[in-house]
Amino acid sequence: MGVPPLALLELDQLTRRFGGIVAVDRVTMRVEAGEVRAVIGPNGAGKSTLFNLITGVVAPTAGAVRFDDEALGGLSAYAVCQRGISRTFQITSLFPEMTARENARLAAQARHARRWQPYGGRAVFGDAGTRGDAALERLGLTHVATRPAGLLSHGDQRLLEVAMALAQQPRLLLLDEPTQGLSVEETAQAVETLAGLLADGVMTVLLVEHDMEVVFRLARMITVLHRGAVIADGSPDAVKADADVQRAYLGGLA
Amino acid sequence: MDFLGFLITQCLNALSQAALLFFLGVGLTLIFGIMRIVNFAHGAFFMLGAYVGYSSVAVVGSFWAALIIAPLLVGGFGAAFELGILRRLYRRDHSAFLMVTFGLTLIMGEAIRLLWGVNALEVAAPQALSGIVFILGEPFPIYRLFLAGAGIVVAIVIWQFLERTRLGLLIRATSQNAEMVHALGTDVRLVRSAVFGIGCGLAGIGGVLAAPLVTASLAMAPNAVIDTFVIVIIGGMGSFVGSAIGALLVAFVQVFGTYYFPDLALALMYLVMLTVLVVRPGGLLGKEA
Amino acid sequence: MNARYGLAAATLILALAPLGLPPYAMTLLTEALILGLFAMSLDLMVGYTRLLSFGHAAAYGLGAYACGNLLLHTDMPLLFVVPIAAVFSGIVAIVVAWVCTLASGVSFSMLTLAFAQLLYAVAFKWTSVTGASDGLAGIPRSPGPFGISVFAGKAGFYYLVLGCLLGELLFCRALVSSPFGAVLRGIRENEAKTLSLGYNTRRYKIAVVAIAFALGGLAGALYAPFAGFANTELLFWLFSGQVLIMVIVGGAGTLVGPIIGAAFFMLVSNLLSSWTDSWALFFGLIFIGFVLFAPQGIWGLLTSTSPAKRRRSARESAPGGGAAIGAP
Repeated sequence: MGVPPLALLELDQLTRRFGGIVAVDRVTMRVEAGEVRAVIGPNGAGKSTLFNLITGVVAPTAGAVRFDDEALGGLSAYAVCQRGISRTFQITSLFPEMTARENARLAAQARHARRWQPYGGRAVFGDAGTRGDAALERLGLTHVATRPAGLLSHGDQRLLEVAMALAQQPRLLLLDEPTQGLSVEETAQAVETLAGLLADGVMTVLLVEHDMEVVFRLARMITVLHRGAVIADGSPDAVKADADVQRAYLGGLA
Repeated sequence: MDFLGFLITQCLNALSQAALLFFLGVGLTLIFGIMRIVNFAHGAFFMLGAYVGYSSVAVVGSFWAALIIAPLLVGGFGAAFELGILRRLYRRDHSAFLMVTFGLTLIMGEAIRLLWGVNALEVAAPQALSGIVFILGEPFPIYRLFLAGAGIVVAIVIWQFLERTRLGLLIRATSQNAEMVHALGTDVRLVRSAVFGIGCGLAGIGGVLAAPLVTASLAMAPNAVIDTFVIVIIGGMGSFVGSAIGALLVAFVQVFGTYYFPDLALALMYLVMLTVLVVRPGGLLGKEA
Repeated sequence: MNARYGLAAATLILALAPLGLPPYAMTLLTEALILGLFAMSLDLMVGYTRLLSFGHAAAYGLGAYACGNLLLHTDMPLLFVVPIAAVFSGIVAIVVAWVCTLASGVSFSMLTLAFAQLLYAVAFKWTSVTGASDGLAGIPRSPGPFGISVFAGKAGFYYLVLGCLLGELLFCRALVSSPFGAVLRGIRENEAKTLSLGYNTRRYKIAVVAIAFALGGLAGALYAPFAGFANTELLFWLFSGQVLIMVIVGGAGTLVGPIIGAAFFMLVSNLLSSWTDSWALFFGLIFIGFVLFAPQGIWGLLTSTSPAKRRRSARESAPGGGAAIGAP
């Protein structure tokens, strides 16, 4: 127990201001390899901005993001992804005219050394297709693999986005409200699928979620954001008992 | 040669140029702000304004009457086009608008050639504005002074219109959140038609005002549309103040560039645009793209 | 398989055309094929990457002027000059694309237009290279290497153009179905997502613009010795618009469609110009009609299960209006 567990992702005093508003306020956080951590907080707590900061979509005003001991500051979105961080979006973002299989294959292709190849491509497509199909199967989407993504049900579209991220075999998976907009039954089904996926404890996941049931089912650790700042950090039970969190969720803390 | 006089007249020159560019840029940016579409035919509406202005002067005999008739006709035509054609495209992506309005540019150019002929048409400035004044010993056309003034007046009028009137409020609200405005009981489609008409009408005013300077010609449309694009790219798509700043910047670069670097004048405008794009890809006052 | 037979049949007919056609028709057909080459190059941008360009005439003009100058001022044979001019156009395009891709969407389209007009203005001033408004005249079809002069004749030149067109079609087909092409398709459907998957989308866009310019330059480089002259009209924005019309009316994103669009354009403009000189008016109307009612173009209408149609139905029946899915 003497050696501290390896932190895969470290946020150090990460801050982002938009004009006069501090969207993310000196957030310091560690995600260890193999950990499933949820970031929760009321609307406008800065959860999505935090994701955008980690993935290079938005540049930080101050502070640093370190991934596997490398500073990600100044890297753009594609470069962050190439380092092994894959994400899903709060609002489903797919290639609607491609089939589910083509969606997953294009995601997997991004990690292929010859993704640029301007001719042929049987080998590249073969490798990427195999990994894409495997990801589809893990999320139970094999039966809709040949349908255009735009024609899938909303629930399947949400899962397809996760499958695309998974097809990239990321070292860190960022899930932005994976059950957003799903019905009660769809949510239950999606949560079971995700729980099955994370059961082996190999994947490192950072999860933003509104639905507390989903959070407590999936996450082993929880960070609570309120008005951009971390107000609690710990195991689900510890967070549940935290007085600040109680007040923040009851609308107090003014 | 009096340097101060030279400087002042060149600045006034640039201001008058900026006024014309502003009429173009503000219309395009207003339309973009509300409808999220780019009107490729904006230069063609500008050109139409000049030709309708020419005919109005010929028929009514008054430049001032033309200044009212031409924008109304041009704006009315714009609103009708929105009603008849563009309305069908709101569910399509932006390229459909660009292509349809590009097609309109071709049609308008050809129709104008058929109606008015290929030769450039002279439009005389009204008597009261056709002389020259001396500013610190430098001669300066009164008409250009009038243009600079008109630009400033119209900028203030548009600003007040957006800030103070009910339609202005609706326009601003629609550009923020069209669905909400629609839900609150205003027909957003009418606002869109009106805005498209107003934008085209502003281009029409610009066309009438430009005619005494450059004559009404078929080259107006492509030149105007490119200048306009440069202005809104510099100022930021959809920003009212941005279009004013863009127009000023481009006008000053054009006027002083032509004087000091006659061979590079044209490239200078693009150089400014390039610099802005590299530093702020969304334009000076644009939202982050 | 059907497509392959169709292609072979069309090639055969075109290859036999010089035997039966009068010289005037041969000239028209050669020009139509050159325009087809040009339109196909634009399709890589417009149809496959959704990069709408209003300045593709720049590619054509660059190729034509480069080719014209080399043929007029050097002894290099036509067969060498044409590819050199195409590559030159592609290299210039890297600079153009680097700038234009700073912006995206509508602003990208505006920048392409601005760039083409800048070149147009430069061509007017740079008399020693472009001949200003007079243009370059008397461009020869220099023979060689080894004294090959077959391409100097009408039929020979026609076969050169036909060969280039076929080569370009095969090249573009390989390109769009390659891994690179798959990424282009991703950019077309959802650029933000493609970026977040780890693709440097800007580099892909620059690459596809460079390829499209090289192929467009090839068309221009063939036009200069075909017509014997090159002038600023080749760089004018109206020409950029015309080639865009060919692509859309023929069927964007199909490669074959733009060739048909070019042929249609040549045919209709020649028919119309015999009884009216304002055929551009009708083209504007035809173009708007296609954009409004048949965005899949002629080729899309001909092939019932066209990809364009399937795409449209996928988009329209998508939950939440489809377009929302593509939004970043």
